[in-house]
Amino acid sequence: MPPVIRPPSIRADQLSRRHALQLLAGGAASLATGCSEPDKNSVAQGDRTELPYVHMPEGLLPGVPQHYATALPLAGYGRGVIVTAFEGRPTKVEGNPRHPASLGATDVFAQAEVLSLYDPDRSQAIRAAGEISDWPAFASAFRARLQEHGVDKGGGLRVLTGRIASPTLLEQMAKLQKALPDLRWHVYEPTQGAEGEAARAVYGVALRLRPRLSDADTLIVFDADPLGPGPDQVANGRALADRRRRDRASARLYAAESALTLTGAFADRRITAHPDAIEAMIAALAAELGASIARPQLSSGAGEFLAAAARDLKARPDRALVLVGPSLSPTSRALGLWINDRLDGPVDAFAPDDRAPQAGTIAALADALRGGDVRTLVVLDSNPAATAPGDLGFADLMARASFRVHAGLYFDETAAASTWHAPTPHPLESWSDIASPDGAVSLVQPLIRPLWPSWSAHAILAPMAGEPDQSDYERLRAAWRGRWGTDGFEARWRKALVDGVVEDRAPEPVSRPRATLPNWTVPAPAPGFAVVFAPDPSVFDGRFANNAWLQECPQPFSKAVWGNAIEMAASDAGRLDIREGDEVEIVAEERRLSGPVRLANGLAPGVLRITLGYGRTRAGRIGNGLGINAAILRASASPWITRGAALRRVSGDGRLSPAVAGLYALPGEARKLAPELAPGAALPPPAPKPSFNTPTPTPPGDPYAWAMSIDTDACIGCNACVVACQSENNVPSVGPDQIRMGRDMHWLRIDVYDHGDGQAPRPVFQPVPCMHCETAPCEPVCPVEASVHDHEGLNVQVYNRCVGTRFCESNCPYKVRRFNFFGYADGQEYGDLGDPLVKAVNNPNVSVRARGVMEKCTYCVQRISAARRLAERETRLIAEGEVVTACQGACPTQAIRFGNLADPKSTVSVLRHDPRHYTLLEELHTRPRTTYLARVRNAGPGGSKA
Amino acid sequence: MSSASAFASGSARAKAPTLLGPLDDRAVTDLVCAPLLRPAGLRWWVAFLVCTVGLIATLAGIYKLFSAGVGIWGINTSVVWGYAIANYVWWIGIGNAGTLISSLLVLTRQDWRASISRFAEAMTLFAVSIAGLFPILHLGRPLYFYWLAPYPASMQVWPQWRSALVWDFWAITSYLIFSIIFWYVGVLPDFATVRDRSSGAWRKVYGLLALGWRGSARHWRHYRRLQITLAALATPLVCSVHSIVGLDFAASLMPGWREPIFPPYFVVGAMYSGFAVVVMLSIVISRGLGLQQLITARHFEAMAKVMLMSSVVMGLSYASEWFAAWYGGNRADRALLVYEFTGAYWKLYIAMLTCNIVAPQLLWFPVMRASVPVLVGVSIGILVGMWLERILIIWNTLSYSFLPSMDRIFFPTVWDWLFLFGPMFVFAWMFLLFCRVAPVVPMHDVRELLHREGAR
Repeated sequence: MPPVIRPPSIRADQLSRRHALQLLAGGAASLATGCSEPDKNSVAQGDRTELPYVHMPEGLLPGVPQHYATALPLAGYGRGVIVTAFEGRPTKVEGNPRHPASLGATDVFAQAEVLSLYDPDRSQAIRAAGEISDWPAFASAFRARLQEHGVDKGGGLRVLTGRIASPTLLEQMAKLQKALPDLRWHVYEPTQGAEGEAARAVYGVALRLRPRLSDADTLIVFDADPLGPGPDQVANGRALADRRRRDRASARLYAAESALTLTGAFADRRITAHPDAIEAMIAALAAELGASIARPQLSSGAGEFLAAAARDLKARPDRALVLVGPSLSPTSRALGLWINDRLDGPVDAFAPDDRAPQAGTIAALADALRGGDVRTLVVLDSNPAATAPGDLGFADLMARASFRVHAGLYFDETAAASTWHAPTPHPLESWSDIASPDGAVSLVQPLIRPLWPSWSAHAILAPMAGEPDQSDYERLRAAWRGRWGTDGFEARWRKALVDGVVEDRAPEPVSRPRATLPNWTVPAPAPGFAVVFAPDPSVFDGRFANNAWLQECPQPFSKAVWGNAIEMAASDAGRLDIREGDEVEIVAEERRLSGPVRLANGLAPGVLRITLGYGRTRAGRIGNGLGINAAILRASASPWITRGAALRRVSGDGRLSPAVAGLYALPGEARKLAPELAPGAALPPPAPKPSFNTPTPTPPGDPYAWAMSIDTDACIGCNACVVACQSENNVPSVGPDQIRMGRDMHWLRIDVYDHGDGQAPRPVFQPVPCMHCETAPCEPVCPVEASVHDHEGLNVQVYNRCVGTRFCESNCPYKVRRFNFFGYADGQEYGDLGDPLVKAVNNPNVSVRARGVMEKCTYCVQRISAARRLAERETRLIAEGEVVTACQGACPTQAIRFGNLADPKSTVSVLRHDPRHYTLLEELHTRPRTTYLARVRNAGPGGSKA
Repeated sequence: MSSASAFASGSARAKAPTLLGPLDDRAVTDLVCAPLLRPAGLRWWVAFLVCTVGLIATLAGIYKLFSAGVGIWGINTSVVWGYAIANYVWWIGIGNAGTLISSLLVLTRQDWRASISRFAEAMTLFAVSIAGLFPILHLGRPLYFYWLAPYPASMQVWPQWRSALVWDFWAITSYLIFSIIFWYVGVLPDFATVRDRSSGAWRKVYGLLALGWRGSARHWRHYRRLQITLAALATPLVCSVHSIVGLDFAASLMPGWREPIFPPYFVVGAMYSGFAVVVMLSIVISRGLGLQQLITARHFEAMAKVMLMSSVVMGLSYASEWFAAWYGGNRADRALLVYEFTGAYWKLYIAMLTCNIVAPQLLWFPVMRASVPVLVGVSIGILVGMWLERILIIWNTLSYSFLPSMDRIFFPTVWDWLFLFGPMFVFAWMFLLFCRVAPVVPMHDVRELLHREGAR
């Protein structure tokens, strides 16, 4: 990363008299002009008139947070959230229990959106050819251009967007298409799968197929990652975890994959296989189920795996599902649909949304650009210059259009290649609406006025279609009034805003026609490496590249932060004499990408994996220059896999991003650190040890004894809890250099242990917050009583009292304490980018820690206090479920439970008697309040080896 | 000589004389006072300038540390302690030897200690002063170091008495105060001697320092009684200070630290490194100030034997650590033992064993004990080895503990090295000044020894 540049300060000795007078005059002039009313004609005027607090708004009490329901987009789809705001300042994102894509939880990206909101690197001005301009200049230039296109009915005018799931925006698009019939609309979503064509191949019509994972006993995934990052992650995680909780012994997840994914880690039985071998396995499975195709040869391991899977499938075919990932061939995906159809498993079919105009692909747009058919290109909320498949050479092609407009949150690579750029508002600043992947629509409402002037996609499309110039708010209400009618509109509108989800908008499943068996031939194996791509768990497709929380959020297995790498199997590396960190170059057809190698477990030999979203050059000061851009190697025809790649070592090194930990094998006795059980099995109770020191029981009397229980069988390793904790507790980012020195600040980390060997990993995720030991080793060693125990069993850290001896962390067997070696929260680039604005993201209920102070997980003591205040006001005790810690609230699978151990009926008390219950490092007699439930591996007969 | 001296000389063979004649009272006094009364030579000035540069560098380092924070060091989230703590234990260890020589050897009537006791005590003073700085420098918020002391704070908070760091605070403070008193009492009659021989302003300074000492029989009677009482008091203090430093580690939960052997083993280790420094200072002082008649082969022989004995005790301590780890059967302890020999720092561990256990075995041979280069080499080896021992106690345990995800290696920064070497210059700077203002050998003790040796 290049050094973060602070704004220049004028030093007294550099200031001449003349310069000082100039500044004075300029300041006086700006004072005279700056005190005008807000610009009411602005199209970005999302809200009504702004007023200072002369009278306090009704319902707003200083210090009492407000909560608003809204929705945040990811890959175009919405996830319902409830955002906490203090005095009009959004600070925390929680899930919306009413929203089907959230169910009360969030993913890691939603948690980090508040930091993106306050990102000072967001685009703050309209730019013409890179120079700051203004809206009137843009509007007149754009209008003149549109008038030209009005004559030719939009010929030569192209609009490129990401996936659009906003009903109102789609309506606007349809209007635009009607106004300019020759305009062409293209959609490019870098993380989009390829569901549509496979359905067409099998059913003859375009259908949207959505599996109901919660109803599947047997789930077989072939290089698919339903638990991986994406708009469905939260719902899928919840569905799979719920299915497991219902009856663990009958729930079995098989995963055959070329690279270790979160789904593979969650699986009961997993096999690492080359994509070619996986395609053969799908064909063999289809043949097993009666397809008239030649049964391909399988290796013994794959054969055994498939036999077991087929046995389970056949036992309950109506409760079995097969998922085939986008990196496999279209015929294999079609075959997967055929298998599901044959099984009659829990899959819903939906008719595609026919209200929206048909959109072309980015490849078609590239062709048109190449052919000179495009005179005007409008790119909305998309960054094709950085994310388009490398075979298109899109960044260069863009210049063929003479008028290029880009609207986006950042002045990114595409903005730099455009003639005009307009900033768009952050989703937390906008009025809009958006649908979730399953079609549930939410209204998007702003939590804060736009920090900088910005124009939404609605506002940019409106003048193109000749719509009246009105605010997004009015436009949105008009659109919904059109759908609902004026009768009872206000009540419905209010209810939709409060609920965060619009009633009756989820589409009904349709019946699907008879499936036909697709043609399947044995694919010819390509020589060389197969490069597979995946959305990055931290920056997704690159849109979160400038978010320091996400950059510092460790990758699930490698625990690498601040960058990606070329992931490679150790056997391949050994064969080619390549070591971790070596710089290599991948050549696929004409496309070349060089980067550092990271050795990965569970990666099939002959396969390389690179996550998307890195190698950004104009992401902002946080994200620039990190990692390598995998999009360069992608091909538009098969965006998720590039076959036949050659690899060679090149000179250069030192670019490998740092890792905070790794995936640890557990030899021998160490296995009890993260035990693994068969379904229904129980852990042996801890043997009583002879001791002169009889442990003192918890003193009775206090009504609360806080405790946490973490179910490692439900943890999918998605990191949502890690960033939720960071957001709730003002945990600063420290940057790659500090991480390289071994200094991270996360209060909650996710350890990952491997019960298998390197080739067949069986990972177990173990989130580790503070254990809040009853006999805490950190307490007696602190010389100043900064680490003390409170009467409710919390091990608390008194920041004001801490002198920073660090003895507590030395003596902590769990190593959960974090030290401020520098002033990370303040005066450090990665913490605040040198901009006071970023401080607005802090939770006012949590101290910002100073340099030289130890800190750690508090069980979100501020939330306990808030619940206690409420309960005491009502003279009652805090009820079960009233205190929800940040990590617990974010967890998609409800793996984290928190509650009162003094209440024998509370969830945590009940879970203490679970046969899977265990205590980390039990033998030290620290008596932690945070305990675990063991991972279950339902491997089935003969599966224990896999 | 009594049988007690056999402890030091160790054999019935004819031993070398403690003092090299011909000497009388006046000659002793002249020898010791001469460096104080003549202007400093070129060598002294060169050494002093070099040390001043080192002192300024150290002060600059402290400024940087206080303004930027302890993050300038290589410490990390797992290895939260580093050079500062190792340096602290090392300097405290060195500081142990001076008072030990003057107390334990007084009580056991080792007369040979007379010539070296003064500068060894001065060494203690300087080393403990430097050591006492490190716990403060090491704090995240050093400006609040006084919170470790029980003072009447308005919030009525007191130190947390169960913490070994609070014990440490008292151990260092009391040891430092006691060492100053002990040293001053020892030097009092000699200040009077110098007062009587100096002139001008210095005469007044020494006069003040001598507190009106006239050398009367009553003075001497009280003086002897005070000295022996202080020596008796000093002995438990010497043992306690490093025992408590050992408890900093032993009163914990971590494998490699939670060992009951730590307090005695730390005391022996302290004596070990302290004697190594005394050997080197003896060589420098006897050559530099022309005191070869007073600091003789007999002294080096005796000190070499102390070091040899200590190395054997250290070896036994290490062996008992290893045995306990194996015999205890605890997974974490055993794993740590394997890590010490095979982990990230194994080369340093082997170097430590070589310096502390193997190399000093040379001193079994009288020839080696008589060789100055060998003694210097062995002493430097011991100092390096003892520093490595302390840093490895910290690194091994903190780099490799219960949960593998937090296993991290320590990489020192340039500031770590500055804080390792800088204080050595500060020590030398103080010692050079000491040589110019105070008699480096207790003249009255040596004169007494001379009379006793002459009487024999």
